[in-house]
Amino acid sequence: MLSDISLGRYVDTGSVLHRTDPRLKVILYMVYLISVFIVNSPPALLVLFVLTVIQLVTAKVPLDVMWSTLKPVLPLALFIFVINVFTIKQGEVLWSWRFLTVTDVGTTRAILMALRIIFLILCTSVLLTLTTTPLKIADALESLLSPLKVLHVPVHEASMMMSIALRFIPTLIEETEKIMKAQESRGANYDTGSFINRLKGYVAVLIPLFVSSFKRAEDLAVAMDARCYKGGKNRTKLNPLKITKTDVAVFILFLAGAAVLIATEVYFAR
Amino acid sequence: MDCAVQVKNVVFSYKNEEGEVTPDKALNGISLDIKAGSYCAVLGPNGSGKSTLAKIIDVLEFPDEGDVAVLGVVPSDEDKCYEIRQNCAYVFQNPDNQIVGTIVEEDVAFGPENLGVPLPELRERVDAALKYTGLYELKDREAATLSGGQKQKLAIAGALAMNPKILILDESTAMLDPVSRDEFLNIVEDLNRDKGITVITITHDMNEAARCEKIFVVENGSVTMEGTPAYIFSHPDAVKKAGLDLPQDIDLIYELAELSDSSVDEEDLYDDSSKVRTAVRLASKAVDMPKQTHYDKREQGRKILQITDLSYSYDSGKHYALEHIDLEVYDGEILAVVGKSGCGKTTLISHLNGIVRPQTGDVTLFREDGTDLSTTRKKDIAAIRSSVGLVFQYPEYQLFEETVEKDIAYGLINMGAAEDNISVRVKEAARIAGLSEDVLGKSPFELSGGQKRRAALAGVLVMKPKVLVLDEPAAGLDPKGRRDMFETIKALRDAGTTIIIVSHNMDEAARFADRIVCLKEGKKVAQGTASELFEDEKKARECGLSMPVLYDFSSKIRNELSKLHPGISLMPPLPFCGDEARSIVRSVLSC
Repeated sequence: MLSDISLGRYVDTGSVLHRTDPRLKVILYMVYLISVFIVNSPPALLVLFVLTVIQLVTAKVPLDVMWSTLKPVLPLALFIFVINVFTIKQGEVLWSWRFLTVTDVGTTRAILMALRIIFLILCTSVLLTLTTTPLKIADALESLLSPLKVLHVPVHEASMMMSIALRFIPTLIEETEKIMKAQESRGANYDTGSFINRLKGYVAVLIPLFVSSFKRAEDLAVAMDARCYKGGKNRTKLNPLKITKTDVAVFILFLAGAAVLIATEVYFAR
Repeated sequence: MDCAVQVKNVVFSYKNEEGEVTPDKALNGISLDIKAGSYCAVLGPNGSGKSTLAKIIDVLEFPDEGDVAVLGVVPSDEDKCYEIRQNCAYVFQNPDNQIVGTIVEEDVAFGPENLGVPLPELRERVDAALKYTGLYELKDREAATLSGGQKQKLAIAGALAMNPKILILDESTAMLDPVSRDEFLNIVEDLNRDKGITVITITHDMNEAARCEKIFVVENGSVTMEGTPAYIFSHPDAVKKAGLDLPQDIDLIYELAELSDSSVDEEDLYDDSSKVRTAVRLASKAVDMPKQTHYDKREQGRKILQITDLSYSYDSGKHYALEHIDLEVYDGEILAVVGKSGCGKTTLISHLNGIVRPQTGDVTLFREDGTDLSTTRKKDIAAIRSSVGLVFQYPEYQLFEETVEKDIAYGLINMGAAEDNISVRVKEAARIAGLSEDVLGKSPFELSGGQKRRAALAGVLVMKPKVLVLDEPAAGLDPKGRRDMFETIKALRDAGTTIIIVSHNMDEAARFADRIVCLKEGKKVAQGTASELFEDEKKARECGLSMPVLYDFSSKIRNELSKLHPGISLMPPLPFCGDEARSIVRSVLSC
């Protein structure tokens, strides 16, 4: 079922990471994002693994949520692994059959690439989506990007659009499931039959989904009007962002983690 | 008179996508005054202009002609518009489409944040609004995970946090079950009474309208009647002409009046106790013994569907949406499935054609030729889907083809019907569903709401299902649309289709179903005919059922009559007003 996917979903466990200022989390996320792509050597990968586990434990993410976050990414990770393992031809040949060759360098690279994707998803979920409500992410981006307002970049509008888009994800998933069931009752087929048939099945779901999304968008616009929304000017906030001492501590600790990671990488890359 | 809203000779037309004015005027010189602090209802058929009126009041639309003043403020410039919107809170029909914030408290704060309310006042307002609506415990929950009833309470909380003086409810209760509806209305009525907030409610529910102080009937963009509920409902012909209904209790009074050759005037309908007094007086006045109502005893058909020990859980056993359900469905009957939102009704009906396959237990369909099909067997699924038609709630959202004709044919083509047969069967299905042939060539998105519903129904009927399952088929329709829908369903049954219907409306379930099954928290808690189910009010309430309005009212009359005529023998209550009136009069005359 679609709703089993936790990707991009907020799960409240009340951990210290949940309470940390979202702006700091966004910055940390950026740091880790870059670190994940710098990592190239197995020891650094190990450090990254340890750091990720620490993050997971700190965020108190339940295992089943973690698993449903990872599940949809595994095929992609596998795909990246397969592509890399067969295309990298450097190093010693381990196995070959007709035009397929697997080398030691290729295998290491492929594992590295696949793990990178997994770590990428894990740190995105833990540092951002699982521990931070979409509205807070939007708040953080609005606050971090607010200097751009001087250049007439519509920062507030963009962050509002983003938070609304995120807010409607569960609603639209529910709606998709409903329409899928309804069309299935009329004999639509999504997973058996010819490709064309399956495609037709999905068209019967997507068109009504688009139509109702437009209707929802119109309704929401009117509802926002009715609640006196007039842009970011003079708006106050129920939960204004405030950086506390704990936030700073969390930030420094995680930043130190990233520093260790990069140091390991630099040391072993030599 | 202290006026909250003044509307004078307002004309309004919608503009189409090209910016041209559509020829039909949504509002056609409408005028009305709404007293400050009052609680009033705006009634009218679909397309009469009720919602447009509400949007004009909240200056979400601007009148083409005429004047509007809200609390004395005329929307002459942008600041004035915001002043009106700030004082006028609006709750829409669809709970999902008005929630802006992801988290409950963030959504409540959205309005006052827009107004620039500073902390700590902002926090106080949000908390107070959450407490008032009973949502404080849920303040950190994700709004999308709330139930429909809770979402509408959230909308009220969001409105309340703006400290409004007027509250507009635009069919806000249409999507709620009776229990949530009552809770919602109680909050609204408290607001009206305690805080003096003027409430304007647009509704299709006559019982809800009867709770108000004043009713405005809108037809073709203007007010055709206005007055207290007693005044309005003392003009039954005008009410019916406007495409509306009488509340069931008042309908019963008129049936009694006819039997006793009396008339009913405004004072007779003043409040609940005067209604009971009137009914008792009329029942005692009748002279002629009315004919006994004969119900044609329907022969119970053969067993067509059997559900055996069905359990289902969405979260691998932590919580069961269905628990050990056993149920038999007989050929040619109308079976109603009732229960609160979230009691497992939708999960149950999704099992009937194998959209959801049983985790434990079995659903078996018995065919005329003596063979049977089970949803536990994968190879049977296609055959089951062509024999059991499923129409979900708000089925109009599943339309997608370029033309209505193609959309209706979609299921038929998927089931592999012969080409030459299709057009004939599409036309037949459209006719049964009550669609005229000229709409078949149109795009389904051009149709009116009611027509869309019928097109979607035709898209299931076209497969000629033996069993037709309908989830709230009349939800959101106006009184006439509801009546027509049930006529269609009755006609289908008379033509031999077995009907399973999910409904929130106990009066309709009692009237149209041969048997009623009640679910509560995934378990079957009661099953039987309407009179069996509603005989014992206490037991019915324990099952989470609300009493049909007619039964409720009728039991009050019966109590009075028993006091008045000791030793009177009363028949069990009947679901139709006419029959019930005759039954009461017969009992009175025979003692």
